[in-house]
Amino acid sequence: MKTTIQEQDGRMVAILVGSLDTSAAPETEKTMSTLNDVEGKDIIIDCTGLEYISSAGLRIFLGILQNAEEKGGNVYIKGINENVRTIFQITGFSNIFKFI
Amino acid sequence: MNGIIAYIRSKLSIKVSLRVVVSAAILFIAALGLLFFQAREAVSQEAISRATQILDKTSLRVDSILNRVEVASDMTKWLVQRNLDQADSMFVYSHSMLENNPDFYNCSVAFEPYYFEEKGRYFSAFTKHVGDSIRTIQGGSDSYQYFFVDWYLMPKLLDRPCWTEPYFDLDVATNTSEMVTSYCQTIKDKQGRMIGVINTSLSINWLSKTISAVKPYPHSYSIMIGRGGTYIVHPDTTKITRQTIFTQTLEQPDTAMTALGHAMQRGEAGVKQMNIDGKDSYVLYKPLGKTGCSMAIVCPESDIFRGFDRLQNTIMTIVAVGLLLMLYFFIRIITFELDPLRRLATEAETIASGQFDAELPDFQRIDEIGQLSHSFGNMQQSLVKYIEELKKTTAQKATIESDLRIASKIQLGMLPEKFPTRADRDDVQIFASLTPAKEVGGDLFDFYFRDEKLFFCIGDVSGKGVPASLFMAVTRSTFRTVSAHESMPDRIVTIMNKTIADMNKNHMFVTLFVGVLDLPTGRMHYCNAGHDAPLLVGTGVGKLPCDSNIPVGFMPKWKFSLQEAQIFTGTTIFLFTDGLTEAMDANKAQFQMERVNEVAARALANQQHEPRQLIEQMTDAVHQFVGNAEQSDDLTMMAIQYIWQHNDARMRKSIMLPNDIQEVPRLNAFVEDACQTVGFDEIDTMKIKMAVEEAVVNVMEYAYPSGEHGDVTIEATSNDVRLKFTIIDGGKPFDPTVQSAIDTSLSAKERKIGGLGIHIMRQNMDSINYERLNNLNVLTLRKKLNNKN
Repeated sequence: MKTTIQEQDGRMVAILVGSLDTSAAPETEKTMSTLNDVEGKDIIIDCTGLEYISSAGLRIFLGILQNAEEKGGNVYIKGINENVRTIFQITGFSNIFKFI
Repeated sequence: MNGIIAYIRSKLSIKVSLRVVVSAAILFIAALGLLFFQAREAVSQEAISRATQILDKTSLRVDSILNRVEVASDMTKWLVQRNLDQADSMFVYSHSMLENNPDFYNCSVAFEPYYFEEKGRYFSAFTKHVGDSIRTIQGGSDSYQYFFVDWYLMPKLLDRPCWTEPYFDLDVATNTSEMVTSYCQTIKDKQGRMIGVINTSLSINWLSKTISAVKPYPHSYSIMIGRGGTYIVHPDTTKITRQTIFTQTLEQPDTAMTALGHAMQRGEAGVKQMNIDGKDSYVLYKPLGKTGCSMAIVCPESDIFRGFDRLQNTIMTIVAVGLLLMLYFFIRIITFELDPLRRLATEAETIASGQFDAELPDFQRIDEIGQLSHSFGNMQQSLVKYIEELKKTTAQKATIESDLRIASKIQLGMLPEKFPTRADRDDVQIFASLTPAKEVGGDLFDFYFRDEKLFFCIGDVSGKGVPASLFMAVTRSTFRTVSAHESMPDRIVTIMNKTIADMNKNHMFVTLFVGVLDLPTGRMHYCNAGHDAPLLVGTGVGKLPCDSNIPVGFMPKWKFSLQEAQIFTGTTIFLFTDGLTEAMDANKAQFQMERVNEVAARALANQQHEPRQLIEQMTDAVHQFVGNAEQSDDLTMMAIQYIWQHNDARMRKSIMLPNDIQEVPRLNAFVEDACQTVGFDEIDTMKIKMAVEEAVVNVMEYAYPSGEHGDVTIEATSNDVRLKFTIIDGGKPFDPTVQSAIDTSLSAKERKIGGLGIHIMRQNMDSINYERLNNLNVLTLRKKLNNKN
């Protein structure tokens, strides 16, 4: 599991590649926690390379969203594949995230 | 005739009048009858006394006439005996006899032949009436030798004066004869020798007229008979001297007449009532002094009672006319008096036809009819009032009934309607029926599947009707609520009991059987709270052993016991309420457990013990037993047949991991491998991977105390139907299936970070099931193979 945070065109972009299972979650959460300090910028989570996500991974997504909403920012999810989108739908996450 | 009787029966006025008049008529007839009888007696007495008086008078007159004859004869005899020397003076004496007594018929002073030598053989100074004059002649001649006739011979032979029997006196001069009776006595000379006879005659005809002159009644008549019974006086002159009183009795025996004749001959006096010549008559008879004759007056009753009969007829006519008039007036008066009643009856008919506001006539009377009218008015008002109330009540009742129907629908709607059969499930099939005695009932049954477990219950609330139904609804929803978080029946019942007992102010209770059947294994946990023990119909028919727990609802602190049983494939669990065993026929006999057992045994013998078949047979048996009797209690039955077939495993793999989440990739690789082996596609594989990861991570994080080492074994098996993951650990008991599900519709802010795990497991798998076995937590996740496999 590889996690990269970049700034592109005034937006924070998190690029996730690999399987975000329970064992990978703590590491990913730690990396992505930098996004919680960002103010006034939209966040894009690029899931093009995300193959799998467990509930622990979903919790990280939810944490980032709740944090950003408190500060008035938006969180977008990009490039999600069909398998992972199914997980989002089952859990109702598709209702609370914006997809680009 | 029937028409007339029917008419009279329909008319009160005629009926009453007829009764009164008939009663009056009976009274009148009785009174008048008595009166007439006594009056008739009096009239009869009066008639007898009157006739007696007349008879006495007539008898006296006859006596006086006879006496006069005797006295005149004696006087003449005295003169004759003094002047025997002057023969011609005899003519003077004889003449003066008739001259002085014009009513005598004739008189003869007759002497012995040649007593007066100058007069020859015959000398009889004979005087009789010729027209208005009296003629005296010498009566003896060769053609009438008087000294040979009765009147001359009788006194001469008897040597005393005597009256002759009537005889015909022949008048030679005119050649006429007259019926006479004579008084004759001898004339004697100074030496006492008999020298002649003085004969004085009375005309019988005259005597008869004299006797008959006085009649007590117009048709009464007198008769006189001589010593031998010969008629001397009789209205029928042909009978005189020719017939006796007995003549007629010779032809037609008549004892009364014979007795009368004898009595008269004996010289008796009296009265007899008898039939003479076809007429009822009174006969009064009396002897006539020295003549030896007897006379009688015959008075026909028709004469005596003529006036009386006329009076009687008049009175009867008056009474009859009076009664008829009375009948007529009674009918008119009663009809008039009852007229208001008829109007009232017409009005009543109007009211009876439904016009309650019809106006009643106001009679202004204070008698019974007035009272009736008044009462009727009151009744009408009450009727209007009651009908109004009845309408209201009926409307209310209709509303209540409608509410009850709705309630009944709601209540039945609470119960499961879809019963799984072999076509729906391969583990269990269920059927149930609930028939409330009233619109709503207190029986309940319920079942639902959670994970790989069947939760079911059956119960019977004390009492019936709406209260029981409300209690039933509470019980059923409590069961659902509690069993969502508890998998052990004893826990479920204990919590339900506490919840229900806390809010049970009406001291109701419910007998309850709660069972949880673990479908993969056929193990059944159950708790029986005072309910009838279910039957197991499988290898035989037998009762499921049940602890004696109290019913649910009144002892909040009661700890209910748990029991366990193995249900084998093919066995049907038959649950019922006491409405089955206590179903009553018309004679109040109960269906009883023996019959339930018989029906179940028969069903089993015929291999007809699938849930629907069993319940249908039981229902038929109950209906046949009960017949037309009213259903006495709610009747509920539920049958659950365990049909799990343990198919042979197609694949079996296992892995054992330590409680370290760093092992998750290994786990995921194992799951992916298993999924690919049985042919799941990418999406299903990911879903299964996610679910198993959640389950295993749960164990890794919570089953063992922090920092303590522990293992978790994951077993993947599959048959033709399913892929099954069994996750086994030796940690503390933990049932992840009772975690409450999350609400996926909440916004990001409201969503909690945790709680997703169980949701993902349920969503991604077909079933999950938790069991605590031999101090191990055993969690099973199943996914059906689809046609892509």
